Amino acid sequence: MNKESVNNQIIISIKNLCKHFPVKNVWGTDVALVKALDGVDLEIESGKTFGIVGESGCGKTTLMRTLLRLVEPTSGSVVLSEEITKNQFLSNSLEELTSEELRSFRRQIGVVFQDPMGALNPRMLIKDIVSEPLVIHGKTKEIREKVISLLNNVGLGEEHMYRYPHEFSGGQRQRIVIARALALDPKILVLDEPTSALDVSVQAQILNLLNDLQKKYELTYIFISHDLSVIEYMCDRLAVMYLGKVVEEADTEELFSNPQHPYTKALLSATPNFEKHKEKIMILGDVPSPITYLDQTKAELATEITEQERLEIKTIEGKGIDYIVRSSLNEVLPLKEVGTSHYARVK
Amino acid sequence: MLEIKDLKTNFNTYDGVVKALNGVNLTIKDGEIFGLVGETGSGKSVTCYSALKLLPKTGEVVGGNILLNGEDITHASEDRLRQIRGGEIGIIFQDPLSALNPVMTVNEQIGEILLLHQDAEINKLASEKGIPVYKSEKWKASPGVEFTIMAFCISFISLFIMLGQFTFSLPFLFVIGMMFLRDYLQRDIPASALDLMVIDALSRVKLPNPKQIARSYPHELSGGMQQRVMIAMALAGKAKMLIADEPTTALDVTIQAQILQLIKDIQKEENMAVLLITHDLGVVAETCEKVAVMYKGKIVEEASVDQIFTNPRHEYTRALLSAIPKSEKHLPNLSTNKKSARTTKSESSIDDFLKVKKEIIDE
Repeated sequence: MNKESVNNQIIISIKNLCKHFPVKNVWGTDVALVKALDGVDLEIESGKTFGIVGESGCGKTTLMRTLLRLVEPTSGSVVLSEEITKNQFLSNSLEELTSEELRSFRRQIGVVFQDPMGALNPRMLIKDIVSEPLVIHGKTKEIREKVISLLNNVGLGEEHMYRYPHEFSGGQRQRIVIARALALDPKILVLDEPTSALDVSVQAQILNLLNDLQKKYELTYIFISHDLSVIEYMCDRLAVMYLGKVVEEADTEELFSNPQHPYTKALLSATPNFEKHKEKIMILGDVPSPITYLDQTKAELATEITEQERLEIKTIEGKGIDYIVRSSLNEVLPLKEVGTSHYARVK
Repeated sequence: MLEIKDLKTNFNTYDGVVKALNGVNLTIKDGEIFGLVGETGSGKSVTCYSALKLLPKTGEVVGGNILLNGEDITHASEDRLRQIRGGEIGIIFQDPLSALNPVMTVNEQIGEILLLHQDAEINKLASEKGIPVYKSEKWKASPGVEFTIMAFCISFISLFIMLGQFTFSLPFLFVIGMMFLRDYLQRDIPASALDLMVIDALSRVKLPNPKQIARSYPHELSGGMQQRVMIAMALAGKAKMLIADEPTTALDVTIQAQILQLIKDIQKEENMAVLLITHDLGVVAETCEKVAVMYKGKIVEEASVDQIFTNPRHEYTRALLSAIPKSEKHLPNLSTNKKSARTTKSESSIDDFLKVKKEIIDE
């Protein structure tokens, strides 16, 4: 298996990954499960950008955290390629790594979080922030030169070294976060909504910077976002998540031109853009709760409410718009190949 | 409907005066959806806050006129402004959870607005149906206070019984008895006119099960529902104009589509004027008829939606449009050229490196 993945240049493959958070009652017994991830299969190619889209609460961030082993998965496995293990690790499976190996693994994955102000310590100077990973991993030689070259890489300069995060604008802060993520020469960069807190023009700058860095260092990006125009611009391959499951996975062009799953169609149609006379598909109702009750009667009660909502929703008239009812998306179908390397959960 | 003429607003800070608005001219007609686009700090929100006199203490309107239906409200009294806010102009804020009061139920919050602006309507409904005007249950506090009183009484009673002084617990027993008696006497009072109007307001924004939502607190609702409650509040005073300040920024794309559709539907039904403030050009393209682009406290371009997307005149508009990511093209590396608006202090050195890059000509 390992040899094959090297041939396809797959850097990380995720197999049937599950993360269930238990919900406890007052006496500490489990009453329900939040299925944040429910059987996710993904293969991430080296040197490409892999996008993950979905609504809030669909499990995008949990997937990222499980990938970094910040949370332990309930079941399933993450297989690393030789590019990452470099024959230094005893095992190529992420959950079998020892704490020492995990340190060396995390050296190869950089993370950029959504809110740059929250990710930077307001009481540290920029030079300390950027050099902190170097110090932690014991690379203390020529730290100053390294910090300057990192800052130059992201379009900042030496004069910014002795400033505090609050002295920078949103876009510049995000550049600092990117510089810090690149400090240890990672192979993979995980970007968790890197531009959602920024203006369009600043967003464009950051996206350009990310593209340039990818070319320069041959980085692999895992790009999490809910903004489809950004995803379309950045990603080579794309997975659409809904309630902890991947409902559709395809190359970006294929997915945008030929969406198969009803949720993907609705998502594409919901993105506001300039084409006025396109077909509108709208989802009715709110994001459903990912909680599954262990008690049968309660589980039935939960589905009953959705039935009642469906009846209410049916009374709304459609005005030249196709409506999708949420509960129709709850049905779980197996992933099916619908095109060349295009998978979707459809009948 | 609303006319803003040469509006100038300043903020006084310790570092000097920030000129947030430098002469804004806007005209919003009856029954049209008007979009106001711009980046963070361009003065979109300040424009609408100045129009409603909702500026913080440091901000002041230093010039220009605001006309509402021909009436100059620039120097209107506080009483008149209270009538206008909610009664003639409704407003929706960006983050619904922080705009709603966390310790009041939806029922109380919408009821407050109805009592302020729809007093005559409520009285009419009450006399027509022969039901009380508001607060159908008398002598009743909020559930939390009721529970606390009950818990206090019971603990004191048990304490005195344990100490062997039963007579001391009699006043507390009396309080509990009166609470039950009160509930028994008011057991089948019909819903008040105010309650009915609240439920009516909630069903106008297409919320499923409005009775239950009226009883709940804001944190019990999802983001989309909270925003619908906000819209219901803005419409409750029968306002003829709606100001929506980034109504969908905190929401998911699918929920955003629902809320925008709702605003469009309501605008059509009531023939309202809507001022939609947003930084998302896509949202403008989908909902608005006319757009104004703001930059550095000025309106740089104003046109119909079709015109602005097919044939933008101003350089800044063109730059803004080209910054939207699309798969086929490379994004221009435009500088935002965000010079500090402060006048007394020289421009902050933070943006030094931005200055080197391409400058967008400001007329």
